[in-house]
Amino acid sequence: MSKGRFGKYGGQYVNEILMHALIELEEAFEKIYPTPEFQREFMGLLRDYGGRPTPLYHAKNFSKLVGFKVYLKREDLLCGGSHKLNNALGQALLAKNMGKRRLITETAAGQHGLATAMAGNVCGLETEVFMGIKDLKRQAANVKKMRLLGAKVNPVRSGAGILKDAVSETLREWSACSRTTHYLVGSTVGPHPFPTIVATFQSVIGNEIKQQILEREGRYPDAIVACGSGGSNALGAFRPFLEDEGVRLYFVEGGGEGTGAEDSSMVFRYGSPGVLHGSLMLVMQDECGQIRASKTRAAGLNYPGRGPEISYLCEIGRVRPGYALDREVFEAVRTMCRAEGLIPALETAHAIAYVLNHREEFDPDDLVVINYSGRGDKDLEAILRYFYGS
Amino acid sequence: MDLEEKFRELNRRREGAHMAHVYYGDPNEEFSIELIETLAKSGADIVEFGIPFSDPIADGITFQAACERALRGGVTPAKCIRGIEKLREDGLEAPIVVTTYFNIPYAIGFRRFLGEIKSAGAQGILIPDLPMEEAEPFLGAIREEGLHLIFQVAPTTHRERLERILAKASGFIYLIGLEGVTGSRLRGKEVIKPLGAVKRGAAIPVIVGFGISKREHAETIVSAGADGVAVGSAYARIYSEDLECPWRKLSEVARLASEIKKGCVEGYRGRDTLNNQGEEAPQAALQRLPVYQVRRNSILDGKAGGDEDRHLPIRSPPRL
Repeated sequence: MSKGRFGKYGGQYVNEILMHALIELEEAFEKIYPTPEFQREFMGLLRDYGGRPTPLYHAKNFSKLVGFKVYLKREDLLCGGSHKLNNALGQALLAKNMGKRRLITETAAGQHGLATAMAGNVCGLETEVFMGIKDLKRQAANVKKMRLLGAKVNPVRSGAGILKDAVSETLREWSACSRTTHYLVGSTVGPHPFPTIVATFQSVIGNEIKQQILEREGRYPDAIVACGSGGSNALGAFRPFLEDEGVRLYFVEGGGEGTGAEDSSMVFRYGSPGVLHGSLMLVMQDECGQIRASKTRAAGLNYPGRGPEISYLCEIGRVRPGYALDREVFEAVRTMCRAEGLIPALETAHAIAYVLNHREEFDPDDLVVINYSGRGDKDLEAILRYFYGS
Repeated sequence: MDLEEKFRELNRRREGAHMAHVYYGDPNEEFSIELIETLAKSGADIVEFGIPFSDPIADGITFQAACERALRGGVTPAKCIRGIEKLREDGLEAPIVVTTYFNIPYAIGFRRFLGEIKSAGAQGILIPDLPMEEAEPFLGAIREEGLHLIFQVAPTTHRERLERILAKASGFIYLIGLEGVTGSRLRGKEVIKPLGAVKRGAAIPVIVGFGISKREHAETIVSAGADGVAVGSAYARIYSEDLECPWRKLSEVARLASEIKKGCVEGYRGRDTLNNQGEEAPQAALQRLPVYQVRRNSILDGKAGGDEDRHLPIRSPPRL
């Protein structure tokens, strides 16, 4: 496979203005990332600032409910409340080493924007976050946090006012300032080298799972289940297990209302290969190549593309795609609240819902790890409104 | 008329080229046809025919809105291609360069797309999100079809990379005049340094685009050695003020088009004056104009100092 390609997926479909920045970033990543100095600083921050390693929790009540042993990889306990900080710290540190002065990024659920604002402050870099107006409203709590940390939050009004539009806007902004500013891409999407960089920084999740499950069970899990759209938390958990064919990998996307392509974010069902935001990947589009807006209640899964690596892994059958519908997701939140006293993020609840609703895919002696990617505080209002009305 | 022939003609007439960029179908097809014909009559030498895309990442707010309106109005790539045919049937002679984002030809099938725009009457294709590396596999097909692939270069393009792009380019080179998106504000003079670098290496004409909206821009840029300028958002800004009846704005569009063309002509002739004084045009223009400080990272040594404010935003106080 050529550099930056996963099968046919990937590539660098950006304007010439940005090519210098991608070339510079690739060189910097290859040069700086492997150095002991960088590793020491990165690992130190993940440990002392982020709180890593995150625990692998044996969810006994949930296990009893589904009939097999389930562990939760507690990324909700990472500082900031989701897995996003792993990548944000890594890239911010890289940007600092490259002499950049400013970070820009996009966010949907607000978790990545928050993580970037945190990492930016840690590394002494200005942070500016682009967010679709629709997401700005439904994730108000995270917007307040970002602003409190000093990040500038820019509403994006173009398109449908969702993640896809925020990514486009951040790419436009980057065109104007790429010499001094790093675009801290939040998921395993975008032009090469971003999908590889993000997956590399997130692989800390899977590496820890490997070590922790061996200590606890003396063997690898039979299955790992993760939610996703671009694919960062899933790839982070999956990557260290890709060679271990015995470990089934499930990728759960946003089913939305489940009534068709118009009302969902089911890219593996309704998508086809196309180019969006700098990369060839599976994307929801019409027959003319116009990108369709995705739809799901989980802002963080509301992206019409699947990153190039996850697109490829599903194509070759290594990763199994699945989905959860909005109503199943809210039920999964309730189940997890009652069983384990944990409020999951709506995104995370997709993985939980999948396990709850596809018990037949797992044997009673299966060891299943759910990547518990984030906590649900940000979704509290939406969850309460769903169950109790406004 | 092919691009080479057009540039030869313009050179004979001692004029810079004016390329007008329109997103077809904004707000409807009938208007776009009239708009393009008006532009061609008022001083546009080349038509940059935009096929709207849902996520135009190199375009500023004016063209984003234009794409959105056109798509809402139901325009499709097939309708765009019929629009090119219509323009040719109406007798438009100006060369047409089709501009669209890569997913449009990719979805249709790249070869099929090329064949369709060629037989409709286009001379070239410009894909803003297809850099040299990704364009490589398609160069053969484009050549076979007898079309020019118009490459863009930017102020951030590395010198060695510029040489590789120039070696593959045909038709003309599109120099992006500023770091940003279409419709940004250009002052004009910041283009001169990157332009000098591109002109020194280019065997084909160089057109400068992004942010050009005034006659003075065109004059400055052409007098500095550019073979032409591209103007787009400035026209869309005019007619989008009256979307109920954009036709009412056509005379204003025509006025700006002829102003831009005047700038292209005056710029060219100003360059001639300098030549008559026995100096190389671009270098002479360079000497006449203020030299901007070159940034450490500057690659084409083309960054004007005044844009610093874009790089160092003032931190806004927290708003809670």
